[in-house]
Amino acid sequence: MKTNKYLSLLIIYVSLSVFILPDLKAQDTEKISGLFPGISFGRFVQQIESRSAYSFYYSIEDLGDFQVNISAKDNSIQQILEAVFEQTDFRYSMDSQKRIFITKNHALDLKLSKDFFTATSRAGADSIERQNDIERAYSRNKLYVIGNPGRQKEATLKGKITGLETGDPVYGAVVFERAEYRRAITNEEGFFEILLPVGRHTLFIQNLGGFIEQRQISIQGDGILDVAIEENIISLSEVTVSSDRMTNIARPEMGVQKLNIQDMRKIPAVLGEVDVIRSILTLPGVQTVGEASVGFNVRGGAADQNLILFNHATIYNPSHLFGLFSAFNPDAVESVELYKAGIPVQYGGRLSSVLDVNAKYGNNEKVKVSGGIGLLTGRLTVEGPVGEKTTFLLGARSTYSDWLLNLLEENTDFENGRAAFYDLNLSVSHKVNNQNTVRFNAYTSNDNFRFDRDTTFRYENLNFNLGWTHYFNEKLEAELVLGRDKYAFGIEGRDNAANAYDFGFNIDQDFIKANFKYEYDFRHKLDFGIHSIRYNLQPGFINPAGIESIVVQEEVNREQALETAIYLGDNFEINEQLSLSFGGRYVLYQFLGPNSSRTYAPDLPIAAPNLIAEQSFGPGEVIQNHHGPEFRISGRYILNNISSIKAGYNTGRQFIHLITNNAAIAPTDIWKLSDANIRPQWGDQVSLGYYRNLKVDKYELSLETYHRSLRNLLDFRSGSTLILNPTVEQAVVRSEGRAYGAEILLRKNVGKLNGWVSYTYSRSLLRTAEDELAEKINGGDWYPNNFDQPHNAVFVGNYEWSKRFSTSLNANYSTGRPITLPVAKFNYGGSERVYFSDRNAYRIPDYFRIDLSINIEGNHKVRKLAHSSWSVGVYNLLGRRNPYSVFFAPVNGVLEGYQLSIFAQPIPFITYNFRI
Amino acid sequence: MEKMSFQILFLLTFLVLISCKDPFEPELLDISTEVLVVEGYIEVEGESKIKLSRTVPVRNTEEVPAVKGARVSVTDNNNGRWDFDEKEGGVYIFVGNFSVFDTYRLNVELVDGTSYISEPLQPIISPEIEELDFLRDENGVEIFISTKGNEEAQYFLWSYEEHWIFRPGVLSSLIYENGAVRNRREEETINLCWNSNLFPKIILQNAARFEDNSILQRELVRIPNNSEKLTQRYSIEVKQKAINQEAFDFWDILRKNSDDIGGIFSPLPSLIRGNIYNLQDETEPVIGFISMGKSASKRIYIDLDDIFPWSVFIPEYEFCRVLSDTIPPNSAAISNAFSSGIRMPARDLFNQMGTLIGYLEAETVCTDCTLRGTNIKPEFWEEQ
Repeated sequence: MKTNKYLSLLIIYVSLSVFILPDLKAQDTEKISGLFPGISFGRFVQQIESRSAYSFYYSIEDLGDFQVNISAKDNSIQQILEAVFEQTDFRYSMDSQKRIFITKNHALDLKLSKDFFTATSRAGADSIERQNDIERAYSRNKLYVIGNPGRQKEATLKGKITGLETGDPVYGAVVFERAEYRRAITNEEGFFEILLPVGRHTLFIQNLGGFIEQRQISIQGDGILDVAIEENIISLSEVTVSSDRMTNIARPEMGVQKLNIQDMRKIPAVLGEVDVIRSILTLPGVQTVGEASVGFNVRGGAADQNLILFNHATIYNPSHLFGLFSAFNPDAVESVELYKAGIPVQYGGRLSSVLDVNAKYGNNEKVKVSGGIGLLTGRLTVEGPVGEKTTFLLGARSTYSDWLLNLLEENTDFENGRAAFYDLNLSVSHKVNNQNTVRFNAYTSNDNFRFDRDTTFRYENLNFNLGWTHYFNEKLEAELVLGRDKYAFGIEGRDNAANAYDFGFNIDQDFIKANFKYEYDFRHKLDFGIHSIRYNLQPGFINPAGIESIVVQEEVNREQALETAIYLGDNFEINEQLSLSFGGRYVLYQFLGPNSSRTYAPDLPIAAPNLIAEQSFGPGEVIQNHHGPEFRISGRYILNNISSIKAGYNTGRQFIHLITNNAAIAPTDIWKLSDANIRPQWGDQVSLGYYRNLKVDKYELSLETYHRSLRNLLDFRSGSTLILNPTVEQAVVRSEGRAYGAEILLRKNVGKLNGWVSYTYSRSLLRTAEDELAEKINGGDWYPNNFDQPHNAVFVGNYEWSKRFSTSLNANYSTGRPITLPVAKFNYGGSERVYFSDRNAYRIPDYFRIDLSINIEGNHKVRKLAHSSWSVGVYNLLGRRNPYSVFFAPVNGVLEGYQLSIFAQPIPFITYNFRI
Repeated sequence: MEKMSFQILFLLTFLVLISCKDPFEPELLDISTEVLVVEGYIEVEGESKIKLSRTVPVRNTEEVPAVKGARVSVTDNNNGRWDFDEKEGGVYIFVGNFSVFDTYRLNVELVDGTSYISEPLQPIISPEIEELDFLRDENGVEIFISTKGNEEAQYFLWSYEEHWIFRPGVLSSLIYENGAVRNRREEETINLCWNSNLFPKIILQNAARFEDNSILQRELVRIPNNSEKLTQRYSIEVKQKAINQEAFDFWDILRKNSDDIGGIFSPLPSLIRGNIYNLQDETEPVIGFISMGKSASKRIYIDLDDIFPWSVFIPEYEFCRVLSDTIPPNSAAISNAFSSGIRMPARDLFNQMGTLIGYLEAETVCTDCTLRGTNIKPEFWEEQ
């Protein structure tokens, strides 16, 4: 049906221009007289050129047979030419040097776009190469002439932006013109409308996924320009170059990494699944302490300092099987943005980063099905329209192989592991009318896993939210979101009947967000709003399991709190080179009853003997207030067409803390809210970056450096027990943190070989706060944090043998993380005791892993029943036994050290993916 | 299709083997694993004991080395000096009295000349133990203590020693000696032995948490059902020391560190120091917290009658019985049966005429209780 339309790279509808009147004012009145009786056009030109200063440029092929039959007496050249070309297809134009250009159908527009000269003069030597390279994207540089010329100085350009392959309208694409700062945003049908001065322009069309398409237009009057923009990176990689150039250099924020699903597909992942978190881990400044650890560390920040959002829902545990898979179904994900610095004002509550995972709301043209089958998991996604105004996306993913593991159990001596998980997500968007859109998101992920026979871990995310977007007018847009996020964690211990237990904790939070975007003018874009979160934590409980169990039931008091923040930010484009983004948030946090609050004697350590009062509070009573401002400032200065510098400063506050019991084999972290004795964490970050594109945008280089200061972090006291501790404040020491580092990323986006190399140097150190009286860990000196991994290098390479066949290689190195080792033993009190080293004085062995994958795309015809692709590869190609955890256990009276490696051998995988 | 599923299974086999546990032997560079360990309690009345030893690397299986030949003394602020004598390797003893109103320091000078000194020690007098008693319940016997602290004595540390009588799996009053079997003399008896537990776990309690600093019926020891400890007569002596808060914290950390580490609910690793430091180099780690004061002690006995009925199960004696083969009473057969020492005469058999017709035997491990304990009655032991 629409095959041709979709197959072509772009569809241009140009309303036929009839006559283009050259600019006459500039011409002087050189008069021409003479008889030209039926001579050839060539001869006519010869005669005119001999009598005047005019020179002609024309195509002999077009005009070779053309006869001129005219007599002139003191006529202007314009009058003559108009008479000659009357009722023909030929048009002429003339420039100031009296050169006359004859063209067929359209006159040549001799005006240049306004930024033509400025752009080249800034580009310098690189721009010559740029010109040579110009044919690489024909459509981007072809001139499209639009509209009938008239007297108007400005013309309205309308059009529709659609995805090339899907045919879906692209919603929210920005169409902008840089010289005059004109811009427009496509609505949900992909339509845009932009008012432009008559003349030549370069239009940039940027969609949400980060691609920038470009069109050279000459607009003469109102007209229409439809653009189909490529969504498939494989067939038009050139487009991404320019987009990345734009984002890398021109984007005002710094420390922002954006990956769309196409980028992620190229990174070999465990078991062939496109993996959001693992993709993020290949970026500089993002590290993980091990394969099976929950979460990731950004710029020396703890895992709890990352705000992970999935269409507004806060995800407390973004991974399956403790990080082996990320908990996001790749088919449902549109793109992922990670803010390492310069966190926009609308986000708050976490100190290190924001990972914003944007899920799709579904195709609005037809129902589509996509999915994949791997060795352990299968996934299926259905999306499409329901009626004219509603679209949906429903995705499911699950392990299906438990029965296979069961079968194998008898034949292997490894009979302990069990793994099962699933995740489901539903996103619905309903357009009430042009002003109002309602969106609903639901997400759940569930895990059930054990390392050994006796201990089963379970955890579950459950999130719902409902959003309403209202467009007041072209300048003001509001979004209201209401939602609930839940996270629950549990351990079932079935070591023996007498000690069988169920341990768990959970977090519930209800939130309301009101976000406003106001485009004051083309230089100021304001963001403001209010967010409120009501926390309800169950910090821990243990129950006996079974009648024989002698485990004593314990429960730590529930915790409630309300966190409210207002924010205001301005994106101020001072001039083309300099832009500034600044703003602030003010946060009020209230720790609420019912609970009891403990007061300790002032100037004495927070410890049981110094407890002087314990007061009970009723439901909703405010036990403790914490409040304060947060600042966000970042600026960008474009040095020239290929490089820019950026700097930023931001501060943040965090009221929910993850306290890690890193001594355990398995990750059993607990969450705790700030209260009267646990102060909120505070952090700031200064960052500076330099961005440059090399070799005509073939390579992009970014250098970023940062320094962070953190206060009121929590580390545990010697010998403390964190789990099920009703008085956690007695088990922790208040610490201050310091993190600093530099990140280098060299990225190549074009050519058969593409990918990136990154190196990160980062340190993350802790020191017991000077006014902490309970204990000075390591004598009050700085010591490495649990996730301090100074050196980290990543290589991601993708080689495209053909459009359908590519190979990816991923290599990852990082310093081993610090641990506290038992170094000696001694006798005391009649028993053998263990003597530990200083906190985090040692490191586990370095981490190194190489993965290889081969991706085979199915038939590449755009329109056919189903697209399919195969992903075959090996995870941990070298079979290196990277330790995930180190622990000590007494064996026959000797304390033996063990390292537990997950994925200790090369793991081949194969996954089949399809889209219908 | 069959081929396909085979491949999937093959790949899954790999998957199942993905996680593995390897020994981890970190290189411990530039750390002194020979840290001086000072342990002891200075009694203001009676015998004070200080033990000096060193740490050994964590994987070492050798005995912890005692530090011998050191000069140990207590000094006060008025040039008073009390020297300790080394009784056995690394154990230094002083018998005498100190005034409870002064402060003291412990001094240790090693053979190599390194000197160590403690923080000032303020003696704390422990109140008497108010109650030491037991309770029989469905889970066994609980032994508990009650004491009443005061302003000075709020943190308590209890240590205890347990002794009990047990009996072997097969009772025998016979002995094989010089190729013949005869009845055992009283001092040769192997039917009744004493066993002891002298190094039990640390028990700590902070009395300040309770009204009037009273600790009521704090569980010290639990004797589970079927324990051999209550075969006949059991005795426990509890020593109560009042210590200061720093000492309490030290013992608390020590107690936690001796528990199993690496588990989900295990306490986190901790650094142990104490109140002793090197005079020349304060940064040198030294382990040990020396306290001073007057301890209180109390002993109770529990008899089988007090808790009857009590069945005893000793795993080592589970399969013990008198063997059915009769050993004829000729010297060849006797020495053949018993000279190796693996078996012992357990019963003598007489016919109706009163003539010895032979012996029944049993395994020595089932018969000789001295293999698990001692047949020498402890000095303090009071008969029922």
